[in-house]
Amino acid sequence: MSRGTGAGYDRHITIFSPEGRLYQVEYAFKAVKAAGVTSIGVRGKDSVCVVTQKKVPDKLLDQTSVTHLFPITKYLGLLATGMTADARSLVSQARNEAAEFRFKWGYEMPVDVLSKWIADKAQVYTQHAYMRPLGVASMVLGIDEEKGPQLFKCDPAGHFFGHKATSAGLKEQEAINFLEKKMKNDAAFSYDETVQTAISALQSVLQEDFKATEIEVGVVAEKDPVFRVLSTEEIDEHLTAISERD
Amino acid sequence: MGDSQYSFSLTTFSPSGKLVQIEHALQAVGSGQTSLGIKAANGVVVATEKKLPSILVDETSVQKIQLMTPNIGVVYSGMGPDSRVLVRKSRKQAQQYFRLYKEPIPITQLVRETAAVMQEFTQSGGVRPFGVSLLIAGYDDNGPQLYQVDPSGSYFSWKASAMGKNVSNAKTFLEKRYTEDMELEDAIHTAILTLKEGFEGQISGKNIEIGIIGADRKFRVLSSSEIDDYLAEVE
Repeated sequence: MSRGTGAGYDRHITIFSPEGRLYQVEYAFKAVKAAGVTSIGVRGKDSVCVVTQKKVPDKLLDQTSVTHLFPITKYLGLLATGMTADARSLVSQARNEAAEFRFKWGYEMPVDVLSKWIADKAQVYTQHAYMRPLGVASMVLGIDEEKGPQLFKCDPAGHFFGHKATSAGLKEQEAINFLEKKMKNDAAFSYDETVQTAISALQSVLQEDFKATEIEVGVVAEKDPVFRVLSTEEIDEHLTAISERD
Repeated sequence: MGDSQYSFSLTTFSPSGKLVQIEHALQAVGSGQTSLGIKAANGVVVATEKKLPSILVDETSVQKIQLMTPNIGVVYSGMGPDSRVLVRKSRKQAQQYFRLYKEPIPITQLVRETAAVMQEFTQSGGVRPFGVSLLIAGYDDNGPQLYQVDPSGSYFSWKASAMGKNVSNAKTFLEKRYTEDMELEDAIHTAILTLKEGFEGQISGKNIEIGIIGADRKFRVLSSSEIDDYLAEVE
């Protein structure tokens, strides 16, 4: 217990370390990476696309049951990167919250309101000792009535920002570097460009070409503001377009 | 608050009589982005750096300076998520006061209640102190006021103050430049110059935020183009 200053619990529960850090929160970020999956989100002029790897570790697993992409309402999607069980718990609560919002206030929960709710919940876990932070980084996407396409990312620390493009998971930093270059000139991507930028970013960062069954793609577009998961055929079309372009 | 298994305080006295968790919380504040406030004769200005982790972040989705009531604003240094909790609680308290007395809450009262919340989290079971210091600025019947609240829950009224990474340089700069009869416009220029002192990189309307309140008693956050105009004046 006499490990320098502090009671020595600063690594076990979310109390401050002597340098003013929260180790449990930092470890939660590591847990997001430990899942071994990278996700990417891109916001275009009138659409948003999120992409993630679909790692099925065992051939005996039912592939259709392995997913990190969850509809929260008809119009809002959530891509969870990190610990699957924590993700499911969060999605379940988010679905409840969004449904209550719609019932209470009479209009659909906007993207930024849901993201704030998720982030505020994450903050509670960083301050109360009885619950650990969730090992999940969430990307929430949807079309906002007033602001258009929106992409938000929430992390275990309780931060949330709107993004033009972002990444989470194992190769997060490499992906962000790649996307910064692509979006430097305030690019306003069309729907196809948005999807293809997201997929090619993932391919470039992981340095492998995917088959349509190895990735999951979720989109919302202004012309059809419903959250949709693309079918393998649609993903194949985009993959073909990318390889022909290169 | 907290689960029954944690009905003991995590913030306890060290043998030398210090509350180390609070000291660590102050460290967290000290590594946060610089923010400052200046009380002028006819208003108050608060300002903060708004450095975002990547150019991919949509800076219009982030607003660090928040309103607690139409005539009271707040800026923080330290952990953003913690500040959201305090803003939410304070807004509710302000509204409860208004519902009871049909009068806007005086700034001193709101500051006192916010500080009480922060103190609670240094003593209650199973929670850690807030990792933020707040600068609360407002204009009420007692004129323009600026308060700083620390993670311990102690608060003081300031003529000008700074928090975060560059606190000592900023405070020295403010001490030199502050005058009692400063007008709000001068205060805004001084605030920008103070931020500029410790700023790494190119300062612009996109990576700082400024909030002002004048005798009109309406707190508002300046748009990035307004900030750019002030920056041009200061050059």
